[in-house]
Amino acid sequence: MSHEVFNWQINRKMTYWYPEHRPRRQFAGVFDINKCIACQTCSLACKTTWTSGKGQELMFWNSVETKPWGSYPTGWDVKALSLLGPQKWGADEYVGATVFEAAPKGERVLQYQPEDMDWCNVNLGEDECSGMIEKGAYLKIPHAVWFFYLQRICNHCTYPACLAACPRGAIYKRPEDGVVLIDQKNCNGHRECMKACPYKRIFFNVVTGTSEKCIACYPSLESGKSNRCFETCIGKIRLQGWINTPEKAQEDNPVDFLVHIRKVALPLYPQFGTEPNIYYIPPKQADPVFLRQMFGPGVDKAIATYKNAKDDPELLGLLLLQGSSDRIIERFKVKDGTAIGYTAKGAEIVRVPLKEPMYVRPYKDVALDVFRHNVT
Amino acid sequence: MDSKEKDPKREGTIASYNVSRRDFLKLASTLGFSGLAAGPLVSWLTPAFGQEVPSPLEKYPDRDWEESYRNLFRYDSDFTFLCGPNDTHGCLLKAHVKNGVIASISPTYGYGQSEDVYGNRASARWDPRCCQKGLGMVRRFYGDRRVRGPMVRKGFKEWADKGFPRDPSTGKPPAEFFQNRGKEPFVQVNWDEAFTMVAKGLENIARTYSGPEGANRLKAQGYDEAMIAAMDGAGTRTLKFRGGMPLLGVTRIFAKYRLANGMALLDSYIRGVGPDKALGGRGWDNYSWHTDLPPGHPMVTGQQTVDWDLFTVENSKVIVVWGMNWISTKMPDGHWLTEARLRGTKVVVVAAEYSSTASKADEVIVVRPGTSPALALGMAGIIMKEKLYNEEHVYSKTDLPLLVRTDTWKLLRASDIIKDYKLADLQNFIKVGDPKDFPPPPKTEVMYVPKQLREEWGDFVMWDVIKGKPVVITRDQVGKGFGKAGVGKPALEGEFDVTLVDGKTIKVAPIFALIQQYINNSLDVNTVSEITWAPKEAILSLAREIAANPRSVLLCTGMGPNQFFNSDLKDRAIFLLAALTANIGYAGGNIGSFAGNYRGALFNGLPQWVAENPFDIELDPKKPARPKLYWKSESAHHFDYGDRLLKAGDTTLTGKTHMPNPTKACLWSNRNSILGNAKWHFDVVNNTLPKIEMIATSEWWWSGTCEYSDVVFAVDSWAEMKFPDLYAAVTNPFCQVYPATPLPRILDTRHDMEVAAGIASALAKVTGDNRFADYFKFVQEGKVEAYLQRVINLSQTTKGYNIEKLKADAADGVPALMMNRTYPRVVGWEQAEEDRPWYTKTGRNEFYREEQEFMDSGENIPVHREPIDSTFYEPNVIVGSRQPSMKPKSPADYGIPDSTEDVENRQVRHVVKPWLEVGATQHPLRKNGFKFILHTPKYRHASHTTPTDTDSVAVWQGPFGDPVRRDKRKPFVTEHYLDMNPLDAKELGIEDGDYIYVDGDPQDRPYRGWKPGTENYKVGRMMCRARYYPGTPRGVTRMWHNVYTATFGSVKGHEERPDGLAKNPLTGYQAIFRYGSHQSVSRAWIKPTWETDSLVRKGYFGQAIGKGFEGDIHCAIGAPRESFVKITRAEPGGMDGKGLWEPAAKGLRPTYESAEMKNYLKGAYVS
Repeated sequence: MSHEVFNWQINRKMTYWYPEHRPRRQFAGVFDINKCIACQTCSLACKTTWTSGKGQELMFWNSVETKPWGSYPTGWDVKALSLLGPQKWGADEYVGATVFEAAPKGERVLQYQPEDMDWCNVNLGEDECSGMIEKGAYLKIPHAVWFFYLQRICNHCTYPACLAACPRGAIYKRPEDGVVLIDQKNCNGHRECMKACPYKRIFFNVVTGTSEKCIACYPSLESGKSNRCFETCIGKIRLQGWINTPEKAQEDNPVDFLVHIRKVALPLYPQFGTEPNIYYIPPKQADPVFLRQMFGPGVDKAIATYKNAKDDPELLGLLLLQGSSDRIIERFKVKDGTAIGYTAKGAEIVRVPLKEPMYVRPYKDVALDVFRHNVT
Repeated sequence: MDSKEKDPKREGTIASYNVSRRDFLKLASTLGFSGLAAGPLVSWLTPAFGQEVPSPLEKYPDRDWEESYRNLFRYDSDFTFLCGPNDTHGCLLKAHVKNGVIASISPTYGYGQSEDVYGNRASARWDPRCCQKGLGMVRRFYGDRRVRGPMVRKGFKEWADKGFPRDPSTGKPPAEFFQNRGKEPFVQVNWDEAFTMVAKGLENIARTYSGPEGANRLKAQGYDEAMIAAMDGAGTRTLKFRGGMPLLGVTRIFAKYRLANGMALLDSYIRGVGPDKALGGRGWDNYSWHTDLPPGHPMVTGQQTVDWDLFTVENSKVIVVWGMNWISTKMPDGHWLTEARLRGTKVVVVAAEYSSTASKADEVIVVRPGTSPALALGMAGIIMKEKLYNEEHVYSKTDLPLLVRTDTWKLLRASDIIKDYKLADLQNFIKVGDPKDFPPPPKTEVMYVPKQLREEWGDFVMWDVIKGKPVVITRDQVGKGFGKAGVGKPALEGEFDVTLVDGKTIKVAPIFALIQQYINNSLDVNTVSEITWAPKEAILSLAREIAANPRSVLLCTGMGPNQFFNSDLKDRAIFLLAALTANIGYAGGNIGSFAGNYRGALFNGLPQWVAENPFDIELDPKKPARPKLYWKSESAHHFDYGDRLLKAGDTTLTGKTHMPNPTKACLWSNRNSILGNAKWHFDVVNNTLPKIEMIATSEWWWSGTCEYSDVVFAVDSWAEMKFPDLYAAVTNPFCQVYPATPLPRILDTRHDMEVAAGIASALAKVTGDNRFADYFKFVQEGKVEAYLQRVINLSQTTKGYNIEKLKADAADGVPALMMNRTYPRVVGWEQAEEDRPWYTKTGRNEFYREEQEFMDSGENIPVHREPIDSTFYEPNVIVGSRQPSMKPKSPADYGIPDSTEDVENRQVRHVVKPWLEVGATQHPLRKNGFKFILHTPKYRHASHTTPTDTDSVAVWQGPFGDPVRRDKRKPFVTEHYLDMNPLDAKELGIEDGDYIYVDGDPQDRPYRGWKPGTENYKVGRMMCRARYYPGTPRGVTRMWHNVYTATFGSVKGHEERPDGLAKNPLTGYQAIFRYGSHQSVSRAWIKPTWETDSLVRKGYFGQAIGKGFEGDIHCAIGAPRESFVKITRAEPGGMDGKGLWEPAAKGLRPTYESAEMKNYLKGAYVS
């Protein structure tokens, strides 16, 4: 049943269980790791909205992990990478195997099932750095020891491993927005999707007996409003929108601009081959070798571009605009020190200054009969 | 799907997590969960839709089920409330209501619409504002630890019901009614009963301790005579009131201080005195109690704190985040830092670890905890030596060129050298006169100084190197005004002869030279590197970078260095660095100290509320009140210190203006810090509480403070407030209103102001004086807007606003802007940009402290002192070579032994030693196996203790969260832990995740008089998990602050409940420790320089300048980050006490790495 499909993130054709088919629009997100504060507000927004019922205790559709020591379920990416084994990027394309190509005979995806105790310790490794501080230290970029935060939701992949693995065909991708859903009426709880998802973003509900996952807050998405984890992101690291394939990239589309035009945002573990649709701006402070393992060979250029943002008004403007509205910004423009966000049809949603103004009030306000001071 | 509909009604308890391990496994195995079912399941799988669906990637046949998630997402209505914990933010949040219950919470996105009366507007970059703790409130409003109604402790009720019987000679209540405090059940009573009981209690206690008889009783009970004498005969002075951080709800929380003012009526009733002699209660401090006040700020600037709205970081070129975890603790403003960095601001972090803020830094300098004074002085020394300082700033805005007499070590005054010198007539932003003529806000135009104080100050002198003679400098001559002094070039170095009016010639030296002499002789860069652990290159580089960027370096300090005993020295040293480089008062270059939401003076019309004259009440809601202050501020640190004074032998070092009174009744609002999380908590519980006769607490969540209270008033949560209130913050520019909400009260609660009003009305009945009731008339009538509008009209930041408009906007999720002089608010901006003097006697930033208290401490110039406990070396020693200017009193001068062992004497021990000697000394406990500094910073999962026991927030608190508590030793769904360097842990045989005991100095911790084998000691001794934490240096351990402590009840629950939860079976209180807490190893400390009678400083509200004690400005602040501990292994970390903790066993933890983990860390899985 294997088909040949094109995955632009690895820049080559690969095999997948179903034939290539892209939705009319694809939901996508960009997460700026440099700005994430790991406050877990996104996690609480998600948890209190969708998964606070019985049977969902261990379920975190959204979570933020500290890398390198954090992971939920415990050890998910160490395990996924070691199953796949060391792989190679060529000059223009990924030349290693994807999780579909590396699947053992008779299976659709290279996979493993987490153990009971892996669903525990959701914030394992929080704020723990890569190496030891022994006494005083002086660190410069990139830091000799480091950590960074990795924000995790379902990637709503173009080639979802969960979808490929479901024996009942109960997982599907919505044509109108590319959101991947598990049909809760038809799921029988076999957990093949849990095994297959290399990102381990499928959770099992012990009360209902079904598997559940991030639904990209589609009831919100359908009304043009940001998803809960985007809406509540106080680090203002999250930008939500629609992504095109590279050849159809539009410069005024915020996601396209960051992913395809400036190439500052990169997919997580592109080598898995699922063409995930959440993109990350890699952190300046971390080890570039580790980052290349995680985000592919575009890391160095992405960091260089990001460091240059102060001299790149369009990039700076977009990065300051993101997270300033709870509506989805589908187009943007930066002009005269102001960044403006629009709907697809060009209606203005929000505008922000590239520098917050300073105001000086009158010391003596005669009309109101008051003196204004900074020390009161 | 019906069976899968999630119930939107949250239980708010951990019941839903509380599947027992056996049930969980049974359920899991029934459902084939996680590898427990045998064999592959593929054989019985069938496709859901037969063969007609070729690819679910393309389309899906039946999507009707999707409606179920839409139904779940839909809600019936929403409303706005203000989430206001002590977090320095405060967020208007939108609650979504479904079936009458709040189902979820979201940000309002209204901040970008906030405006002031001048049309200035904040941008949408301020949105969104919220955090995980606020969103988690949905499980707290309905939580099982809500206080359900007024509760009274059984023994207290019996005492009250019997009419408060007492020992006739000492006045003490019989022990039987108090010995079970914290151990016995509470009885729910009705509101009238509770109010009456507390009113009668207040009357009885005040009467018992009034007059000469009262004084004799207190003496018989062993109180210090000075404390008794300072009561002036009024028993009401033993009644202690505390609101909480002022900006968190100015009328709500501060209703306690209004009540304290009303106690003057009680005094009048009891002692028969008139309004001229009557005395109210005492009001405890907040900012200084929390150890948030940076005590050196008033020493340098004469006013409370220099700080700025955090978003001014956009104006800086370099920001040095120094001992502050901005990323973790200033969450909604985290983006201003990361965005400034994006815009090119260089971020340098100075920290005792690799912190979350370090991960956002361009440069990180890791230092030894408690060494900030040495680091700052060292950098100042480099700048002085390399002559990188900004001369203009140093000459015109600092005291550094002023001359000091080398005979008396006092500042040289013009009158010393000019016969019949006539004081200058000061005119620069100042009025000198009689305090009774000083106008209150909002008409305060300039600084106001009593004539006598101005005369004490005198005028000052510099040495002009051009003219070669001394020149008089007045307080007016600052900034551009310095030009008028006619000084060619002031001397900064050298020593000069001057002739006094009596003809004697003495040597004088500029302050600059005295400080430089100390630094040169004591703190060269190599020494500073050894002291601080900061690499030499880092110190040199940062010093030069700061000097190279005048007006554009923000020195942003936090609680880290502030919670050490040398906190004032740290401030004075960092200010020196900033002053040398012209980085004070500018939008891009300034000092900031960020801790606590403290600046009540932002609403400087507050006396309208907290000090309305109870003998002259204004009952017309449209007219302003006529304030008269009857209550008196007091530092709660003395209560925490055992209701004692700071002494050196027989000498009392607590200044007269700081004198506390004995504490007999406490009325507290707002959460846990004052008792449940007090420094030296277990000493307070074991040694101080037995002396206190009534504790009445207003709370909406059953805290550790409630555990030890006598009466608990159940108050409204933020979601169900029926009265509006004002809120502001010291880190953002917003004026926010708590909107009254439409949500019906969930339990039998009342508003905080109604509690105060209820007590007052009961007092009216007890005394027959109806003025008590009138004092809260608009509360009883539900018209509190009258009080709020009075505060608004009289506050300089809000005059021009209307409460009705503010309320309506807030209900729409939109705040207003505080109308300080500038947006962003930058303290010192007028001094920097408009050449106003500072609030000091010289009008300049002062680095020399000539007052006797500072001389006696050896701190007339800023020096480095080692921490008082958190050091590997001799504690609290002044590091350096002894300079002629240093004249500290020695232990022998006080008649006390020169011992580092005695903890009490250590506070007043002034011994000077060069680093060469200090480096060879040892902390006295090292010989007993004590090895570790333990510091307790704040963190992202808590704002004080507010959300740490909300299950959905708590599971994120560290690595030991487990919502289903598979290991039943866990006190909760999470538990607390100590971070250790893995190599240190290994040396002690401690594995990652093991349980450990952590012990402080056995002299007095967990409490004075502890005895092994007792229940009290078991409750008080800290047990927690150990986490291998690679980011902390060796010898330095860390525990996040603000977790609920073990209590008698929680320990009983942990040991006796079948589920093992550390939850009090009687009260429901939930601890996050099995035993003890981080407060088991800290204690109360008081430093003599915090309690002077001589320091010149601005008063709390307005522009008047005075001296000595001022609550929250110049008073004791404690040093809660200080402890030196011994760590021993208690139990293995593996499941149920067997073997290794699971993640370590799997090779996923530091030092336990499997081959796969090693490859992963190296990035070896791709090439």
